[in-house]
Amino acid sequence: MSSRRDFFSGAAALVGAGLVSRAGAATLPEAPIMGSAATQPPPAPPNGRPYNPVVTLNGWSLPWRMKDGVKEFHLIAEPVVREIAPGMKANLWGYNGQSPGPTIEVVEGDRVRIFVTNRLPEHTSIHWHGQRLPNGMDGITGLTQPGIQPGKTFVYEFVARRPGTFMYHPHADEMVQMAMGMMGFWVTHPKNPALHAVDRDFVFLLNAYDIEPGSYTPKVNEMTDFNLWTFNSRAFPGIDTMNVRQGDRVRIRAGNLTMTNHPIHLHGHEFEVTGTDGGWTRPESRWPEVTTDIAVGQMRAIEFIADAPGDWPFHCHKSHHTMNAMGHKVPTLIGVDQRGVAEKIAKLVPDYMVMGDKGGSMGGMDMPIPENTLPMMGGQGPFGDIEMGGMFTLLKVRKDQKPGDYRDPGWYRHPPGTVAWEWTGEPPAAVRSNGPGAAATPDRKPVEVEVTVRKPTGHQGHH
Amino acid sequence: MRTQPFPIRLRVAAGACLLVLGGCASFSKDGGLDAVSTMTSERIGQDVRLHETGDAAGDDAHAEAARLLAQPLTPDAAVRVALLNNRALRASLARLGVAEADLVQAGRMRNPGIGFSRMSGGGETDIERSVMVDLVGLLTMPMRRDIEARRFEGAKLAAALDAVRLAADTRKAWFNAVAAAQSARYAGQVREAAQAGAELAARMAQVGNLSALDQAREQAFSAEATAQLARARHNAVAAREHLARMMGAWGEQTAFGLPERLPDLPASPKAAGAFEAEAMQQRLDLRLARLELEATARALGLTKATGFINVLDAGYLNSSKTGSAREDGYAIELSLPLFDWGGARVAKAEAVYMASVHRAASAAVLARSQVREAWSAYRTGYDLARHYRDEIVPLQKKISDETLLRYNGMLVSVFELLADARSQIGGVNAAILAQRDFWIAETELQAAIHGGGAAVPNTEQGLSQ
Ligand SMILES: [Cu+2]
Repeated sequence: MSSRRDFFSGAAALVGAGLVSRAGAATLPEAPIMGSAATQPPPAPPNGRPYNPVVTLNGWSLPWRMKDGVKEFHLIAEPVVREIAPGMKANLWGYNGQSPGPTIEVVEGDRVRIFVTNRLPEHTSIHWHGQRLPNGMDGITGLTQPGIQPGKTFVYEFVARRPGTFMYHPHADEMVQMAMGMMGFWVTHPKNPALHAVDRDFVFLLNAYDIEPGSYTPKVNEMTDFNLWTFNSRAFPGIDTMNVRQGDRVRIRAGNLTMTNHPIHLHGHEFEVTGTDGGWTRPESRWPEVTTDIAVGQMRAIEFIADAPGDWPFHCHKSHHTMNAMGHKVPTLIGVDQRGVAEKIAKLVPDYMVMGDKGGSMGGMDMPIPENTLPMMGGQGPFGDIEMGGMFTLLKVRKDQKPGDYRDPGWYRHPPGTVAWEWTGEPPAAVRSNGPGAAATPDRKPVEVEVTVRKPTGHQGHH
Repeated sequence: MRTQPFPIRLRVAAGACLLVLGGCASFSKDGGLDAVSTMTSERIGQDVRLHETGDAAGDDAHAEAARLLAQPLTPDAAVRVALLNNRALRASLARLGVAEADLVQAGRMRNPGIGFSRMSGGGETDIERSVMVDLVGLLTMPMRRDIEARRFEGAKLAAALDAVRLAADTRKAWFNAVAAAQSARYAGQVREAAQAGAELAARMAQVGNLSALDQAREQAFSAEATAQLARARHNAVAAREHLARMMGAWGEQTAFGLPERLPDLPASPKAAGAFEAEAMQQRLDLRLARLELEATARALGLTKATGFINVLDAGYLNSSKTGSAREDGYAIELSLPLFDWGGARVAKAEAVYMASVHRAASAAVLARSQVREAWSAYRTGYDLARHYRDEIVPLQKKISDETLLRYNGMLVSVFELLADARSQIGGVNAAILAQRDFWIAETELQAAIHGGGAAVPNTEQGLSQ
């Protein structure tokens, strides 16, 4: 006699076995693989309900198959090689050829069926972060489902009920699997495409890795001392710019799957936070910002009118997060005269070069560094080095950027007289006015500041 | 000492014998030195000469030593100087003369003595005239000559052994001295690295970038490196002085120069050969043991034949001790067969002979073992030195290169760069020591084959170990 429990577990096993063996090839939707780390322009939805597609920064959206009114996607969890930036590649785990995986875009009310094939060396699962769904579809190994064993395919099926911004990631050995880059973006568009429609809708995840300089695979046990801070597993100067037309209403959505918060800051504009983890914010609750902090595990959507032409930085405001790999224990050498010592060191280390005595800026020094390691700061701008790395990119606002055109328009051409310039005149003489009012500003006398240190003695406190 | 007067007839016979024997006892032309020199050059490729300060040969030797010492010494040149100059070796060679003199002496009768006595008392005077001849000496002369001939042979072997040992010790001292000087130079570089770190730390502290704690740590490093340098410098002096002693250098001779570095490793190690068999043929200490065994056998024959002559009570029982001059001798006891017909004496002689046989066999067994051990040390020394040269040092270089790349990328600090420089210097130093150990092992392998190494311990020592 079989109990309910036996029935369900048997059914689950059947589904899994049926898909990978006999009828597998016939019933599994195709799983497209992406080989490029470039931003893919969004295609309009070929079928189903209409929506305004998003642009995944340095990523793509996953095509689906319509079957009996259900949108079927196929994710393959697998090891991938992700280019973090030109000059550096990482051995990560991801989905369908990239990490993060492709963005899944559906419309409110869609029935969604996602096939997940595991090609990792260990079991996995997918948790649909923020979704309203049946408990058994929540993707928690051990709690709501068994792990998807290597070589097996599981099916998740639910109705995308709430419109908004979501993420997906494993809830199986997640410390390792997320440190290895397993995550992806999810957007549920509103049924009515006219509802809070924007002209450009950019999405990406905030992620962090600890990849030892000269190596390729993240250290999966790190918790605090990460050395690569990335948007969609890309570090500046490898992050694509967000190219918009002047006057566009722009939305940027970000989800934070790192282990710390990120105050994301936009130059040249004010924005409003229009979406949170819980959905769309009511217009009367919004306030203007230039920086919004995205806490761990949170998603934010910000919106603004891109009315100021130019190349505007958009970055995390934690300065270490706009740096690539660097030595966090390197002592400060500012103001240290290394003459004499430097010669001594150079005798022992022939290629030694004095650094850091004037600050951290390496001022165009082009010295060899370990293989597969990005310079601490990189990227060339029209005026020289952009001394940035990590979570940094640009919002490029152009008058003539065509709708639907996401190509990089190049550097901004500043109208005459709108760039900070060097003043080359004579220094002004320090002349004291003898006119009326001079008495009100008496000759300044140097003020002696005496720093006194009270030293403790044995008798203090006994009076 | 008075000897018993003999009847006249005997005196005449003795006198005739004296004339005959006196003719066969004379000194050789070279005093045994040629034989020693041949044995030495067969083994170490260099001959030995005995000369005295002031004579023509001495002047030549002095000039040759001076010429060799004037340029950076090679190991062979150091050995040459030692053979020319080392006083202990010259003492050993001089002992050859003593042994030969003993041999010649053994072939000569004691001079006959003439006695005269006058005794008077009770109004009578008794005058006695006598001619005294050393009858015992006459009877034992063939035995003594035989023994002395072997002792002379032994002295030649011992002198050659001393020369071969001196050569091996000098070579080892040379390798030690050169390596110690190299190590001292590296210790100087380590200190420079540490000093650079300490100075940088001091400047950082001065402008407020480093705590007193961290500065003190860098200074402590530097201070420790200074202490190590002092030790290394003394070691270099001590090793050099050891070499100077081996070469018997003094006065202006001590200003000799050494090359900057040890000789390179040979391209390939020696192939394992029939080193044990070679050692059995070549080793001078084993030859000496065989010589003593033969002598004991001969003495045993005498004892057996007569039962009245005992040459075993002393003589060949002594063995040389390392570090002190060889002392031996013998006594011949001629007994009158009144009560003891010699049975016990023969038994004892046989037992002594057997002890001698075992001792010689034991020496051979130990020598074989020494050769096998020396071979292992040689091969290991070669492989280790090559491992350091081809693996460890290049890896350390690679580490340094990578560390510098990390410094360039501001991933590590200058202090890590300096710490790495120190450890790389340490690695190179370890490679030098491995190279030195190889050359010493090479010398010791030669010594184990030719008998210029550690003496084979005698049975008693062997058992007590
Ligand atoms: Cu950040």
